[in-house]
Amino acid sequence: MNSASQPLLTLENITKRFKDLTAVNGINLEVSPGEKLVIIGPSGSGKSTLLRSINLLEEIDEGTIRFEGREVGYVMRHGKRHADRPQAISALRAEIGMVFQHFHLFPHMTVLGNVMEGPLTVQCKPADEARSIADGMLAKVGLSDKRDVFPATLSGGQKQRVAIARALAMHPKMMLFDEPTSALDPELVGEVFDAIHTLADEGMTMIIVTHHMGFARELADRVIFMDGGNFLAEGTPEELFSKGQDNERIRSFLNRLL
Amino acid sequence: MKYVSSRALVALFFLCTLAGTCRGAMDYDQLFRQSSDLMAQGDLDGALTLLKQVPAPAPGEDAGPFVSSRMQAARILASQEETDKALAACQEVLRLFPDNSEARNFVAALKDQLRPKWHTVLADTLRFLPALGRGAMMTLLLVLCTMLVSPLGGLLIALGRISTLRPVSGLCWFIIWFFRGTPLLLQLFFIYYGLPSLGITLSPMTAAVIGLGLNYSAYLGEIIRGAIQSIDHGQMEAAKAIGMSYGQAMRRVIIPQTYKRLMPPVGNEFIALIKDTALVSTIAMVELMRAADQLFNTYFNITALVLAAMIYLVLTTIFTFIFEKIEYRAGIYEQR
Ligand SMILES: Nc1ncnc2c1ncn2[C@@H]1O[C@H](COP(=O)(O)OP(=O)(O)O)[C@@H](O)[C@H]1O
Ligand SMILES: [Mg+2]
Repeated sequence: MNSASQPLLTLENITKRFKDLTAVNGINLEVSPGEKLVIIGPSGSGKSTLLRSINLLEEIDEGTIRFEGREVGYVMRHGKRHADRPQAISALRAEIGMVFQHFHLFPHMTVLGNVMEGPLTVQCKPADEARSIADGMLAKVGLSDKRDVFPATLSGGQKQRVAIARALAMHPKMMLFDEPTSALDPELVGEVFDAIHTLADEGMTMIIVTHHMGFARELADRVIFMDGGNFLAEGTPEELFSKGQDNERIRSFLNRLL
Repeated sequence: MKYVSSRALVALFFLCTLAGTCRGAMDYDQLFRQSSDLMAQGDLDGALTLLKQVPAPAPGEDAGPFVSSRMQAARILASQEETDKALAACQEVLRLFPDNSEARNFVAALKDQLRPKWHTVLADTLRFLPALGRGAMMTLLLVLCTMLVSPLGGLLIALGRISTLRPVSGLCWFIIWFFRGTPLLLQLFFIYYGLPSLGITLSPMTAAVIGLGLNYSAYLGEIIRGAIQSIDHGQMEAAKAIGMSYGQAMRRVIIPQTYKRLMPPVGNEFIALIKDTALVSTIAMVELMRAADQLFNTYFNITALVLAAMIYLVLTTIFTFIFEKIEYRAGIYEQR
């Protein structure tokens, strides 16, 4: 494979409607291996829906998703689009890690149990192996000392780092972060960003939805501004955040944030 | 029959008159008649004084009037709750005639009255316990079988109800609708008495487990469905996001989180179940209720029913305690 030039993820004309509302409106996007893409935009602009569509948590109405060059998620049958077999959908999700705004840790499992759940149940690895993978991921996010406690005892920042470790334990080829710090107290945001930064430095491909412009500027190779289900503007952080931004909508959004 | 007995009465009357006229010294016949009259007027003490006048018989003399007078006196005294004096009157007879069965029986009855109440209750309890114990074991067996079957049935019904396959969810809706909407008693009758006409004959135990199992599966199905749907939707998404199938997510993530929420309502259902097993007594199964009923009908003794109530209370108390322990354990991860 000519992996150097080939995009890891390709979206063609992705459209998702909720009844009359078009949440994502014909989006085209290419993400190269190792790229860090930040998506910003006002609330309700379709950012979450786009991320969830990539992970096949939403069934899209139109468009094509390619991962590593192959078309995923949907098959044509009798000239109609259908969701692919559940096994195929699960297999793709296992290759794409996702981190949610509200963590969604499994409350009935310890921190270690949360992180080893993927390797254990999905990849059917022996418990010893799953545990050592999980220990490695917990060390990476700096939470080895919390391995045996239940999530209820953790701070928001710690919960989100466990959620990151849980996604990483599957050795995903790509990570999706949907506002990973929006539910956190301001003083806890830094530790989560640090964890994401470490991951970025290791070369992980990632799409991050965030409202923290400083973080976006620091991390992003490319920033996309989304509004009303469309990509309004796209460029390097410098281009998009520069004072000379000529789009009125983007300028007022940025001014409100800064 | 009437004719014969009235003839016997007439004969008895003649005999008595004959005896009375032969005696001479004292007209016992008149004495007894007088004492009866006094009793009828409510003058028991007067009657007693009269009866006491009958002397002990000399050797060889007819002892009949003496024994009758003392026994009559004993009955009067016993009715006045003068148990000691009644006993003394009986003893007078027994001193002369130790084998007199009337006196002996009366003494036994009096002593029985003297014995404390709890003594009789204890004796009854010991007498009834074996049968009630056997009944209680059947009840317990029935409860345990249903407790084993109905959560599994309930889980299947719950998963079926939330299934996106219309025939499956429709079938489960129907099961819940039917078994919650008709009396359990009717369901048991249908299974035990109705199915044989379709060529299916079941033992009372099998019919009971099927009936209770289906009924409680339907109830638990709704409870379990509610518990599953009350779990934050994000849990299913997070499970899917790491690549779990729907089944894996249910088994590993969603259902384990329902346990704590399930325990209070399921505990309630199972307590109701312990008492609902009493309905099974109507389909020829001898469990606790039926055993108590049989004892009550044989001995007309309320103790059997009181004991059954106590055994039901013991069972429900034990199970309540166990369910509370399980609920605490199931929710231990929520503690900070
Ligand atoms: N499950 C859903 N059902 C109906 N409407 C939805 C659903 N999810 C999202 N939407 C709508 O789609 C639009 C985009 O939502 P979302 O992707 O969550 O926006 P963002 O993440 O940018 O705030 C919003 O108007 C939202 O109300
Ligand atoms: Mg969102």
